[in-house]
Amino acid sequence: MTAELDTLPAFWMRRSRRARKGFREFQLQTQASSPSEKRPRPAGVWLLLAFLSAALGLIFLGEGLWIKAKAELAQILLERAFTQSIVTGKPVKPWRWADTWPVARIRVPRLAVSSIVLAGGSGQALAFGPGHLDRTPLPGERGTAVFAAHRDTHFRFLGDLKPGDEIKVTPSDGLTFTYEMTAAEIVRWDRSNIDAQASGYNLALATCWPLDGTFSGPLRYVVHARLKPSGL
Amino acid sequence: MYRLLLTLLGVIAMTLSASAGFVSPSQMGTGALLLKTNEPGKYVEAPRVATDFDITITGPIARTRLTQHFRNPTNGWIEGTYVFPLPENAAVDSLKMVIGERIIVGDIKERQEAKQIYEEAKAKGQKAALLDQERPNIFTNQVANIGPSETIVIQIEYQEAIRQSGGLFALRVPTVVAPRYVPDPKIVVSENAQFYTVKDSVPDRDKITPPVLDPRKSAPVNPLTLTVHLNPGFALGTVMSSFHDVMAASLAGGAKLITLAKPEFATRDFELTWKPLPGAEPQIGLFAETVNGSDYALAYVTPQVQPAAEKRQLRDVVFVIDNSGSMGGPSMSQAKASLIYALDRLDPMDRFNVVRFDDTMDILFADTVQASRDNVQAAKSFVGRLEASGGTEMIPPLRAALRDARPDDQTTLRQVVFITDGAIANEQEMFDVLSMMRGRSRVFMVGIGSAPNSFLMTRAAELGRGAYAMIGEGGQVEDRMRELFAKLENPAVTNLKAEFDQAQAEVTPSPLPDVYQGEPVMVLIKMPDRKGMLKLRAEVAGRDWTLALPLDRAEKGQGIAKLWARRRIDDAEVAQTMGTITPEEADKRILALALEHHLVSRVSSLVAVDKTPARQPGEKLTRAEIPLNLPAGWDYDKVFGTEQSAPPVLERDAKLDVTLIAMTKSPVSAQKDAIKTVDLPQTATPSELLMLVGALFTLLALVFALFARRARLA
Repeated sequence: MTAELDTLPAFWMRRSRRARKGFREFQLQTQASSPSEKRPRPAGVWLLLAFLSAALGLIFLGEGLWIKAKAELAQILLERAFTQSIVTGKPVKPWRWADTWPVARIRVPRLAVSSIVLAGGSGQALAFGPGHLDRTPLPGERGTAVFAAHRDTHFRFLGDLKPGDEIKVTPSDGLTFTYEMTAAEIVRWDRSNIDAQASGYNLALATCWPLDGTFSGPLRYVVHARLKPSGL
Repeated sequence: MYRLLLTLLGVIAMTLSASAGFVSPSQMGTGALLLKTNEPGKYVEAPRVATDFDITITGPIARTRLTQHFRNPTNGWIEGTYVFPLPENAAVDSLKMVIGERIIVGDIKERQEAKQIYEEAKAKGQKAALLDQERPNIFTNQVANIGPSETIVIQIEYQEAIRQSGGLFALRVPTVVAPRYVPDPKIVVSENAQFYTVKDSVPDRDKITPPVLDPRKSAPVNPLTLTVHLNPGFALGTVMSSFHDVMAASLAGGAKLITLAKPEFATRDFELTWKPLPGAEPQIGLFAETVNGSDYALAYVTPQVQPAAEKRQLRDVVFVIDNSGSMGGPSMSQAKASLIYALDRLDPMDRFNVVRFDDTMDILFADTVQASRDNVQAAKSFVGRLEASGGTEMIPPLRAALRDARPDDQTTLRQVVFITDGAIANEQEMFDVLSMMRGRSRVFMVGIGSAPNSFLMTRAAELGRGAYAMIGEGGQVEDRMRELFAKLENPAVTNLKAEFDQAQAEVTPSPLPDVYQGEPVMVLIKMPDRKGMLKLRAEVAGRDWTLALPLDRAEKGQGIAKLWARRRIDDAEVAQTMGTITPEEADKRILALALEHHLVSRVSSLVAVDKTPARQPGEKLTRAEIPLNLPAGWDYDKVFGTEQSAPPVLERDAKLDVTLIAMTKSPVSAQKDAIKTVDLPQTATPSELLMLVGALFTLLALVFALFARRARLA
């Protein structure tokens, strides 16, 4: 966390100090020498630097966009694998080398969002979809099922959820469970107050806090929901 | 400029290496005490001071006491998780722990209840231990509230039935769990997307080495010691240790005392085999004990199979060979040698096929083909070219091998010979496929390497109605394969039934499996009263075979009731896999057996709680505090090190970095947040940061371009 917080500003400060120094030298030069001998840096060097920066800029921009694109594209493959696993009743890997598989679909009808939840909370899984944390019950089972996803991709909508909103979860047996949002809170990742063995049928959705942050930190935003009594 | 680049590269590299230096329980190689680190789901291995096996073999039963010593290397209070392998048919019934000056004895409880008792004790600051079964051959033991610099002794006891085959008696002691290929991420706890939470703030790339060396390579490890008291109950012929140098001393009454000749690292299974003197072979054995008013008996009989006079039946064999990465080194050459041997044994009229797999697979012929010289030659060169690499996806090749083009063909024997080290964690998936698709095929397992997954081998052979062989080193290939082929080629003892005069006897295994040549029929019986006759009926080589044993003429044995219960638990698991009972019903049966017989199972655990509060932190463990009832044969100085404790470790290259270990200044009860809650993973991507940096560079490019323009104009 501290690495880039410290070094980025430090770097910019150094950068600007050097720039100021360069400017002073430039002033000294202009004062000391005759106009005909005025020789700032040749254009070629600046041009090279410009190209380098542009290339780096594109690489980083591309990398950032790729993360988002991957999250979107993967969901298409996941949707297919999930449909298949409802039919076959067996976990189906979305692609051959995947180390995870779809376990549920989560939908919020009011916000018109839907995504496929993967098994496990590993970074690899979360890159492609929300993850169902190991050692928490499956949705529809007793206890608290916990899903986590990135705040800037699949769980971007968590901030828009309001108490009372319906969250529909379909595990791979095809049954749909309707949960109702009860509350939200901000917690530290290691003090989540989520008890996987809690009584009742609960769901918790977690993502990083602040929701629009750029750097990652220890805080998490957790949406709590309770299973609605079935409306039969 | 390059400083910023390095920073960013560094962050990326750190992300990749963030998991180095830590392990998760499923990665552990040997029995080890894992200490929680400050990162969730990550552990480092505690220095192991000593490991001791004390095995007593009486007739057909072996009882083992496994004792391991660990030291808390920190100056805080810690919780440890201890992962260790046991034989897959072990009936684990005792957990004792010596922490400081206390001995804690474990009690059997329903798994959830045991977990709750453990968590409560932990929250109260009491020392506690919880022993769970993860697989029939892998157990974990959690230990709470280990004080600063304390040494902990963990002692587990179990019993198992001795294996017999071809007149050879064998005991296998697993000391290593080979790292398993985990096709699914569910066991590996790796919330390792901790993108920017790396503590190291040094941005230079060349300094971003993992915080510690891999503890599996670097933690000081002590050699293991092992003692076997062998009372076979018959005149002993040769006694051999397959992989270790041993010393044997003769004791009174024909018994032998066997010890390791030199200290050894726990890197491979220990295997002891023994033979009776010619003429002293026990054809029939009957042992009994009485527990809680019920009589239990163990009977074994080796049927005399006449060499098949008629022409041998033609076979339709599919060989499956594992060439995944875990098979690298000697395992691969043993596997190849085994398969080449098998190909040479084929009759030209037999049909065969070869399947090889890692995380991909190839099937040599579209269907099984005649074992003509050309075909066998093609198969041999195919096998010769195999190299070990990749993951272990065992399901597709198993399906391919079981797919039978002629399911109703009665004229040939369809057999599948599966050659692997079994280093997988999804055994149950294998068993499900096997029981669903086996049809008329019989499955024979060949376990390769220094620590094959014996649970997979034995259960798969049972479900596949076949047999298995374990090959631990090159020299064993021929003997073991010849024995296995004798089984493949000769008629088995089939339709085995046990009958009693009294109605209430409960027999296990149930149903009784087919028995191959050289193997004894082994049955375990529970009955209210041991009298009358046990009648065994079977079909041997197409002929009826019967044998009657008078039950009252049994020798005394110990631990038979536990073996009976352990085997009934297997029966319930097999019945569940075969779909004859529901998982709930299986759980119910297993729990009842486990609670009655004090056994650890998938639904029951041993839990031990020290009722007295933990002692004050900071007290050093001294010799006076060590209880006097150390396990027999333990030398105090060897175990605890001499005063000032430099344990006699065979030090490897690096030290454990104790700063990584999660510890508290006091027993956990002092902490406010002792309630266990779910740890949440990192859920921010660096995408926006990356884009921001990208934008900044683009901006910088514009500025430079402006300078360039100015410079040109000037």
